[in-house]
Amino acid sequence: MRKKQFSFISLLLVAVLILSACASGGAKPGTASSKAEQATKVADTKDQYIKATDPGKSPETANNRTDTFVANISEPGGVFVPYFYDNGWDENAIQPIFARLVAIDEKGNPVPDLAEKWEVSPDNLTYTYHLRKNVKFSDGSPVTADDVAFTLTLLDDPQYTSSVIDISTAEIKGADDYKKGNATSISGIKVIDAGTIQITTEKANPLNLTLLGGYILSKEYYGKDYKKGQLDYLKALYSKPMGAGPYKFDQYVNGQEIRYTANENYYGGKPKIEHLIFKITAKTTALQTFQAGETDLDSFTTDQDTLDQLQALGFANIKIRTVPDYGYIYVNNKKSYLKDTTVRQALTYGLDRQKIIDVKYKGYGEVANVFTAPTLWSYTEDGVTKYNFDPDKAKQLLDTEGWKVGSDGIRTKDGQRLKLSYLTTKPDDQIIPIAKENYKDIGIEFVPEVLDANTMFSRLTKGDYDLLSVRTNGLIDPNDSVAEFASDKPDLNVSGYSNPKVDALIKEGISTVDEAKRKETYKKLYQELSNDPPVILIDYRKSIAAWNARIEGAENYATGNYDSAIALSKLSIKQ
Amino acid sequence: MSTIKQKPAAERKKSKSIWTESFRRLLKNKTAVFSACFLILMFLFSFVGPLLSPYGADAMDVTLMKYPPSLFHWLGTDDYGRDVLTRLMTAGQISLTVGLASMVLSLVLGALLGAIAGYYGGIVDSMIMRIADILLSIPSLPLLIIIAALLSEFKVPTDYRIYIVMMMISFVGWPRLARLIRGQILSLREQMYIKAADVLGLSSRRKIFHHLLPNTYPLLIVVATLQTAAGILNESTLSFLGLGVVAPTATWGNMITIANNLIDFQKRPWLWIPPGMAIFLTVVAINVLGDAIRDVLDPKMKGR
Amino acid sequence: MRFIRDSGMPAENKRGVPVKKYVLKRFLQMIPILLGISLLIFFLFAMMPGDYFSSNRKLTPERLNELRALYGLNKPVIERYFIWLKNAFHGDFGFSLQHMLPVTTLINRYIWNSFIISFVALFFTWALALVIGVYSATKQYSFFDKLVTLGVFASLSVPSFFIGLMMIKFFGVDLHILPIGGMLDTGSNSVGFAYLLEVLRHMIMPVAILTILSVGSLTRYFRTGMLDVLRMDFIRTARAKGLKERTVIFRHALRNALLPAITLLAFELPGLFSGAIITEQIFGWPGIGKIQLDALNARDYPVLMTLTMFLSFLTIFGNFLADVMYAAADPRIRIAKKE
Repeated sequence: MRKKQFSFISLLLVAVLILSACASGGAKPGTASSKAEQATKVADTKDQYIKATDPGKSPETANNRTDTFVANISEPGGVFVPYFYDNGWDENAIQPIFARLVAIDEKGNPVPDLAEKWEVSPDNLTYTYHLRKNVKFSDGSPVTADDVAFTLTLLDDPQYTSSVIDISTAEIKGADDYKKGNATSISGIKVIDAGTIQITTEKANPLNLTLLGGYILSKEYYGKDYKKGQLDYLKALYSKPMGAGPYKFDQYVNGQEIRYTANENYYGGKPKIEHLIFKITAKTTALQTFQAGETDLDSFTTDQDTLDQLQALGFANIKIRTVPDYGYIYVNNKKSYLKDTTVRQALTYGLDRQKIIDVKYKGYGEVANVFTAPTLWSYTEDGVTKYNFDPDKAKQLLDTEGWKVGSDGIRTKDGQRLKLSYLTTKPDDQIIPIAKENYKDIGIEFVPEVLDANTMFSRLTKGDYDLLSVRTNGLIDPNDSVAEFASDKPDLNVSGYSNPKVDALIKEGISTVDEAKRKETYKKLYQELSNDPPVILIDYRKSIAAWNARIEGAENYATGNYDSAIALSKLSIKQ
Repeated sequence: MSTIKQKPAAERKKSKSIWTESFRRLLKNKTAVFSACFLILMFLFSFVGPLLSPYGADAMDVTLMKYPPSLFHWLGTDDYGRDVLTRLMTAGQISLTVGLASMVLSLVLGALLGAIAGYYGGIVDSMIMRIADILLSIPSLPLLIIIAALLSEFKVPTDYRIYIVMMMISFVGWPRLARLIRGQILSLREQMYIKAADVLGLSSRRKIFHHLLPNTYPLLIVVATLQTAAGILNESTLSFLGLGVVAPTATWGNMITIANNLIDFQKRPWLWIPPGMAIFLTVVAINVLGDAIRDVLDPKMKGR
Repeated sequence: MRFIRDSGMPAENKRGVPVKKYVLKRFLQMIPILLGISLLIFFLFAMMPGDYFSSNRKLTPERLNELRALYGLNKPVIERYFIWLKNAFHGDFGFSLQHMLPVTTLINRYIWNSFIISFVALFFTWALALVIGVYSATKQYSFFDKLVTLGVFASLSVPSFFIGLMMIKFFGVDLHILPIGGMLDTGSNSVGFAYLLEVLRHMIMPVAILTILSVGSLTRYFRTGMLDVLRMDFIRTARAKGLKERTVIFRHALRNALLPAITLLAFELPGLFSGAIITEQIFGWPGIGKIQLDALNARDYPVLMTLTMFLSFLTIFGNFLADVMYAAADPRIRIAKKE
């Protein structure tokens, strides 16, 4: 009896081995390597748009929805009032409902939304916005300058607790008196007439135009019971949003989907598609959900396999675009062994960033060399030092700085071993195996550690790290990514970098709103930052979005962009 | 059994002969011998195997990413172009140690405390069981995050963290087994042969170790096998909190999770079948060995 | 059999403590334990590095201080604990920072979704494990038994998301007979019976996964328990008496084999409400598991505290019930005495 059991196990073992051999035999040898070659070539291509080859293959489930567009959303929290959510996905969720004063396009340029035009005073301190004529909220009431004033006042209320926007950076005149003092209104906000508002600030800031021109709340709807210092009444309205965007809120099915209907009062005319649904999808099953026709649009993991599968569907229009952010490794400039420019240069030269990108994005990423995103208007490689992988150069730089290789192969200087801790939040961080190997080769011991995000960021602010891997937020203005390298803002400057030339250029960059002038400043700044790198730049990445070809106009739409509502209002369904 | 000295010489001799007798019978059991040999082979495979491999476990070859099995790479390569077979071997070093160690530790703690609580009852039972209640109530995830932060704070080398964490998990994980064992002991204690032992005036220790615990042995085997599998797979979950093994070190758990999407799962089975089989066979071997040992030791089986 | 009950009491009774008094004492013990746990857990959460705002890199340091003061995060831990305790006694469990909702509303909104799949899965798990476990035990080392054994270990050796993804691919995409995820169809407005059917259809895959995940180990427990009992003297006696095998197994053996199940069942009680993170994520099921994980990652203390305390209470209460049940009935002893 026992013998039988033994033989049964071995039989099973054999069966499984054969099975696995068959399965692997099925994938033709050679495909993998040719794919890798192809992938590295794709790396330097720009945005791609792949049209559907056979729209007729669109699944019935999707075709049956003749008046509904279903797009994806990740994790809404359920607070559907602009500025009051704490969850970034809620901002995506309110974008169809609330129009902005000024929208922002993909390149970071301001676009008219509720305001048809605006003026900025020559000293860059006063902003005047002119509203469109006859623009209405979805309940039919007019949008006026009072609503704009109310919205901005709300953000300066002493009880305003959300961390999503910090209006104090705009430095509106009199805002501090309102927030901390006894003032009953903000002196810098002036309603000229029903269609015009003028805002005076105390410091020039190129970000103000869009910061002050955000989503507009109806004073009548949200401000009836408003008293300074009392915002609790708003909680009752979190689940009942009302704005001037192309769609009206219909229903939030908890944890499932958000439903909208077209707003007949929208200034651009009632959208052609009657119903909009943001459906919550998971990254792991997004492709299957899309394939089955449950969604019309989604974003997917960026790799060749996914792209192949999407193309094979036939009915998918695919857009591969560069994401406006970059990945980098913080280098703690405050540590004695990392404060020298040469050491940081050596760290960059000594790391095979191309390899990291090959493994991580399989052809859909690029090595980053400039301290901004390639999509932004300020991007230029002009005069920027590119640190191509060069271990010999790295070794030489470390040698000149006095770091001598010890008996264990690790460099030392004045008794200090060059052992660097590296913090990340991802256990499968592709930088780890590659950096470990690369740095060992040039005599640096690399000690990776995986931590949860909160722990890691508290270590970052405490300065308790050597190297630490992050990504920037989505970049809108060039200042977003460089502000943290100014040495006069020690709380923001977590890397502890200090370079007077950089300080001056950062200030210069936000002292004017003239784009041409700023471009020149940023060019100089990027050059200086590349010569004296504060951190190790890693990658730019691409994203893959695909939509069912039955939806027309979706190539201009991307959930979350600050002009997405405008694009949304122009979509239509091919019948 | 360091206290063995205290026993009268005759009894010691007798108990020793029981053990040698059992061992001899175990050797006669072919399944048991086979499973034991298989486990030894697994250890050899993991600890000696890598020395025979022409590849380093962490040696990357980006031109050969996710390459299917071939003459050069018998089990193919992973997403960094590393040899799967070599990684499978080095992974075994950690997974086997972690799986077996966490199993033994939680078994010993759980069985011992459960038996003591069940046997003595009263205040001892209350104390142990209320501590068990508290430990069962502490959510493990926050606790692990704190441990991770502390280990990181005290600069404990990342390679050793997994062992400390496994010990911690076994330490807070004993209450489940303890409650199960206690339940069994409560019933066993009322049975005839223990009553008989009471009358004979046997020591408590002797009753617990020779009469009560051996009767919970079937349950212990189940827990042992389940625990080993869980220990090996848990390790990869822990790495999400930075408590597991840090890359690029391989473990069976983290090798299996590399193929975490449908495409890899279908198209590249060489990524997940080898580690999956390794876990599977190890667990089966432990179970078969456990069953065999029970058959040999089980007092109730003697009559057959 | 009833008449032996008095003499068949376990330990407590033997020493002269009546069951009622034991139950009361055991119940009262729960109160200090719960208080102790709340203190312990509160400090545990407070010890976690970072707070709700620390990972938000958009905030200026001044704004950070403002926000921490507004939410009382700058107060000493012990003071915060007593504030929490006082409010909790008044039934106020706080406000979720992440969801901007009262914690009780938030939990109430999602916990029942988790409960319903856990409950159905629990039912199937126990039913299946019982049938398979018992059958395997009675036919030990048969082909069926070996097949089950291998199946169990195979299910233990593969992570759950694999099985989930395969099911989605097979039933959702290829066969197109089951919905891929969520609890309702996209844009569905169904009510009443149609609504019920829709939810049921969406439940099939998550419930199946949860069942597959836990049925394996439970089968092992039942099989072992059953094997153990089948070797007992009283079963031999019963067989010797010439009772039918069916009667022996179901009337005598099974009842005894189920005794350890009381302990196991107690462990399941908190599990019914804790949600299954991976399953919920794969199938887009709007359950509490994700809420809890998010709260932990974001350090949303009010949500964490309330949920953890609720689960702790269930854990302790479950164990209390198990102990009471053990104290009230131990069939093995009765039967042993009878012989």
